[in-house]
Amino acid sequence: MIELAVFFFFAAVAVIFALVVILHRNPVVGALSLVASFFALAVMYVLLEAPFLAALQVIVYAGAIMVLFLFVIMLLNLQHVGEPVTRPIQQFLGYAGSAFFGLALIYYIVKYTVLQLPPGPFLSDARAVGVALFEAYIFPFEMVSILLLAAIVGALLLSGRGGQAVAR
Amino acid sequence: MIPTSWFLILSAILFTIGVCGFLTRKNGITMFMCIELMVNAANLTFVAYARQFHQLHGIIFVFFVMAIAAAEAAVGLAIFISLFHHRETIDVDEANLMRW
Repeated sequence: MIELAVFFFFAAVAVIFALVVILHRNPVVGALSLVASFFALAVMYVLLEAPFLAALQVIVYAGAIMVLFLFVIMLLNLQHVGEPVTRPIQQFLGYAGSAFFGLALIYYIVKYTVLQLPPGPFLSDARAVGVALFEAYIFPFEMVSILLLAAIVGALLLSGRGGQAVAR
Repeated sequence: MIPTSWFLILSAILFTIGVCGFLTRKNGITMFMCIELMVNAANLTFVAYARQFHQLHGIIFVFFVMAIAAAEAAVGLAIFISLFHHRETIDVDEANLMRW
């Protein structure tokens, strides 16, 4: 019963802060709301018996990626820049289209997923994930490390002085 | 135990909010945050199905999605910094050099 209460509370937190992200004009408030939403999603991962992923969600997403967003917002001094108003037709089409999409998605989920949970505990702690990652998934793991290296080099080239010199 | 479909519905709601923000906002960084929101909704679906079928593959896939989202955020934000240096704005409608 307490599981249900935790689920509904943190589901509401995730949805409300996600709405703040898309409705607030100030990007700093949006980034901080997104951090709160990611914390609520970490609680969801704990409820889904994946505590290792919950820790990763807090460390990588809320800790690293969102701090990067906040750094960029502060660096470009965007918190005082007003955003121009979106055209009404774009506003209407965006809200109507996404509402239709969401309702259709929920309708089909409710209609087609009547799945019974299998009995027994599901082990997805750091040990099980690590064993799978370094045995079956060792090649994709190495590819991801190369991808991250390429992203670092690309980000340096794009944002540093070198990028401007190349562009001119 | 909470049924899997509830997590799927929460994931659908978060994904829809991300789509809505991406379509209606003009601030480039806010649009980027909406993409992160959609990626996280997809991650929640992966974890829910991993528990449903007792398979570790979903968990591993979320691990890779997180790494790729980090790379994407780094490169995307670098592009916005570069855009800001050249155009003094991050309004995506202003970046219209390659538009026909």
